[in-house]
Amino acid sequence: MAQYVKKDDDRDEEAEYSPFSGIEKGAVLQEARVFNDPQLDSRRCSQVITKLLYLLNQGDTFTKVEATEVFFSVTKLFQARDIGLRRMVYLIIKELSPCADEVIIVTSSLMKDMNSKTDVYRANAIRVLCRITDGTLLTQIERYLKQAIVDKNPVVASAALVSGYHLLQTNPEIVKRWSNEVQEAVQSRAALVQFHALALLHQIRQNDRLAVSKLVTSLTKGTVRSPLAQCLLIRYTTQVIRESSMNSQPGDRPFYDYLEGCLRHKSEMVILEAARAITELSGVTSRELTPAITVLQLFLSSSKPVLRFAAVRTLNKVAMTHPMAVTSCNIDMESLISDQNRSIATLAITTLLKTGNESGVDRLMKQITNFMSDIADEFKIVVVDAIRSLCLKFPLKFRTLMNFLSNILREEGGFEYKKAIVDSIVTIIRDIPDAKESGLLHLCEFIEDCEFTYLSTQILHFLGIEGPKTSDPSKFIRYIYNRVILENATVRASAVSTLAKFGATVDSLKPRIFVLLRRCLYDNDDEVRDRATLYLNTIGGDGSVVETDKEVKEFLFGSFDLPLVNLETSLKNYEPSDEPFDVSSVPREVKSQPFAEKKAAAKKPTGLGAPPPAPTSTVDAYEKLLVSIPEFSTFGQLFKSSAPVELTEAETEYAVNVVKHIFDKHVVFQYNCTNTIPEQLLENVTIVVDASEAEEFEEIATKALKSLPYDTPGQTFVAFEKPEGVPSVGKFANVLRFIVKEVDPTSGEAEEDGVEDEYQLEEFEVVAADYMLKVGVSNFRNAWESLGPDFERVDEYGLGPRESLKEAVTAVINLLGMQPCEGTEVVAANSRSHTCLLSGVYIGNVKVLVRLSFGLDSGKEVAMKLAVRSEDEAVSDAIHELVAN
Amino acid sequence: MLLAVLIANSEGNILVERFNGVPGEERLHWRSFLVKLGADNLKGVKNEELLVACHKSVYIVYTVLGHVSIYLVGKDEYDELALSEAIFVVTSAIKDVCGKPPTERLFLDKYGRICLCLDEIVWKGLLENTDKDRIKRLIRLKPPTEF
Repeated sequence: MAQYVKKDDDRDEEAEYSPFSGIEKGAVLQEARVFNDPQLDSRRCSQVITKLLYLLNQGDTFTKVEATEVFFSVTKLFQARDIGLRRMVYLIIKELSPCADEVIIVTSSLMKDMNSKTDVYRANAIRVLCRITDGTLLTQIERYLKQAIVDKNPVVASAALVSGYHLLQTNPEIVKRWSNEVQEAVQSRAALVQFHALALLHQIRQNDRLAVSKLVTSLTKGTVRSPLAQCLLIRYTTQVIRESSMNSQPGDRPFYDYLEGCLRHKSEMVILEAARAITELSGVTSRELTPAITVLQLFLSSSKPVLRFAAVRTLNKVAMTHPMAVTSCNIDMESLISDQNRSIATLAITTLLKTGNESGVDRLMKQITNFMSDIADEFKIVVVDAIRSLCLKFPLKFRTLMNFLSNILREEGGFEYKKAIVDSIVTIIRDIPDAKESGLLHLCEFIEDCEFTYLSTQILHFLGIEGPKTSDPSKFIRYIYNRVILENATVRASAVSTLAKFGATVDSLKPRIFVLLRRCLYDNDDEVRDRATLYLNTIGGDGSVVETDKEVKEFLFGSFDLPLVNLETSLKNYEPSDEPFDVSSVPREVKSQPFAEKKAAAKKPTGLGAPPPAPTSTVDAYEKLLVSIPEFSTFGQLFKSSAPVELTEAETEYAVNVVKHIFDKHVVFQYNCTNTIPEQLLENVTIVVDASEAEEFEEIATKALKSLPYDTPGQTFVAFEKPEGVPSVGKFANVLRFIVKEVDPTSGEAEEDGVEDEYQLEEFEVVAADYMLKVGVSNFRNAWESLGPDFERVDEYGLGPRESLKEAVTAVINLLGMQPCEGTEVVAANSRSHTCLLSGVYIGNVKVLVRLSFGLDSGKEVAMKLAVRSEDEAVSDAIHELVAN
Repeated sequence: MLLAVLIANSEGNILVERFNGVPGEERLHWRSFLVKLGADNLKGVKNEELLVACHKSVYIVYTVLGHVSIYLVGKDEYDELALSEAIFVVTSAIKDVCGKPPTERLFLDKYGRICLCLDEIVWKGLLENTDKDRIKRLIRLKPPTEF
């Protein structure tokens, strides 16, 4: 080290010189032989270890032989007296992480150090031993570790605690025995020891709710010394609140005072953590939210970027659930748009997009336009997603927003960014009918100069479906045919399919499309020619390929309802013979879950619903799945599929949720099951449903799941018949029944014999909202006028005392299951009256619009006027009955 | 978990790279991602001024100290706030060892000690020591003074 200091003095002349320049692994390994010298040169040894560390820190790796050789040499250094060198030795042993059979050579030295009178030797020896040890050695040293946890030297205690945290992953049963010592360490006066002990204790007890709750209760009353530990405690408190919220009375919020108290802590980290915890409370009221929002607002103008980031990140999340609560911060947030740190600016913009009102959209868009040019693609994608949501919230503003999207579509950008923009335009076209024509033209402009084959083909597919339905389909033909002339084979083939779709749907265009398709017969690519031939024969053929117009459309527009995996397997198994491959022989049963049942599935489909690579929407996937099951294939058109309802708690042996599929005369419950025990294989899995509290439902079919291996989700179904077109409701109790077989963890094979077993699941209900589709309208007033007053029903209701108007509005929206329009689901804070507009489609495909007017009196009593218009008198009455009951 | 501590020179060459719980095949991606992030944003930034970003569910706090840039990556409990605490410890320890914000040369001269400091600060993804005076003593195997 001294030599290095010397170099330091003349660094100006040798600024470019690096002590490691030209360093080479082979040479350093040669140098490492100095460790074996009988007369150890401590300084030289330290330098060589530094070089080894440099190599390792650069991502260099040693082969097994090299590592072993260095490790054995390093162990000799335990003889040296130099303490600097000893510290380096501890580090390099950890970095080399020797294998179990080599460890034995240092254990005795380390054990000696662990019992040393010098505390720091002990701390280091503990860390090294725990890093390299295995289970057997751990039981030998367990006694020392337990002592170390309660050692009065904080360095030793922390070393043991952090080691325990790591060892818990590999040897949980041993570490769990240290609970008492860790519990004692939680009371330590040393701030960091308390932090480490708290983290470890929580890890040990994380599955024991009562213990965690006790821990939180005692610590929130006591003193926690380090801000880091305080943050952990806040997190654990939030967890306890979340878990206890199911059992507590409404309005009664345990630990809220503690969280609120933390907002006045001297450490900024703690304040932010507490504010974040409060904003994440389920069903948080605006009164509870206010103090948290106030401190977050202060942090928005902090001089420290991390605090600004943390505050705006939290407010961004709050804006999703309580946009009105965040509006008070809008002015501070607007000044963050020009923040040097682009992450902060992006978060500020997306928050503003969520909280802004309709009149502010144009101004906001102007600010964003300047901002977009100087941020990276990944930030731009976030902004594009936010703009899409904004457009769906304020459909009347679609022109401004669509123009913005088409402008940025023309600018430079990578694939993911362009895809996000195209997906957004597609979503807007789908949800806002008025936006269709201009949106399609923007897409057409884009494919004129699009470098991404994938996007071109997706847009062509989408054009083929939507283009023919516009007022003047002919204007799109030029763009499509240009693709046939100018693009690569993949895009040309897509363009041919799109042309065919126009030809099949728009009779007036048919002759001219034929001319274009015939030209494609001379294309130099097989696929393009084949497609042209096929389409010419289907659309304009003599009936030899398909006979009726309906069949043509079914062929061109119908969905491909075979699971691709099954088709692939069947094709692979097909052996060339005289007998041609028969598509109908491909099994339709879906083996494992075809769509992600994760939280993401709840999101609306945003991509282009095009064939294979594009994600299909959840509803489409459900429909295909149900049609493929013979028992359910006769139920007709699927009306609605609910979001999954969890029937088990998190982290139980079996995770089950149910999706309610509503048909006109039937309901099908799809139980998505996951087996989380690696040592078990479940077979013949069924759900026994008790429908005694659902009188109008009669069970007619059950489809068992043959096998449910570990961590591979599978589905079982139960179908019920109900009166046709009637929104029957009821409660269903469920028991999971199966045969369980033990699985050998080493071989993965299951035993032959199994045992029948049952597992109780939670109940769920079919409610009125299950019979309502959330379908928005772009202009509520127009839609309301066009439905007319013929079947209008108006009545008034008292909703009783409520915490706030917002709560009442949310409750009614959830009860009806309809789509809020024009952002009217958002209730201004402290307002005493509110109007909410809802739209939906009721079972039987009846369009329904609802106008809700709420008023709040001084006694917090909420009154509501409900006006319903629909295409059917009975449905208008049914909506009133729903509310009345 | 504190997923990574990465220190690079002003040209983006790696000086120290310590990953925890990041699969080998993802490390290269992280390295280039962080270096690019620094190249895009660190120009003209003052010593120890923190920058922050998030990428998927992972947080990144980074800064410049002399001629080196320092990046910390974390997830879950190691969010931007905990990372800023950790990076403060790292920068103070480096300044302490080097006597000032280091040039690349000075950093490499003190490389061994800096490695020891990092070992005391972050151990396998967990923050272990946060006090620079204590760290200074610990890397010389001296007991902490406050004890």
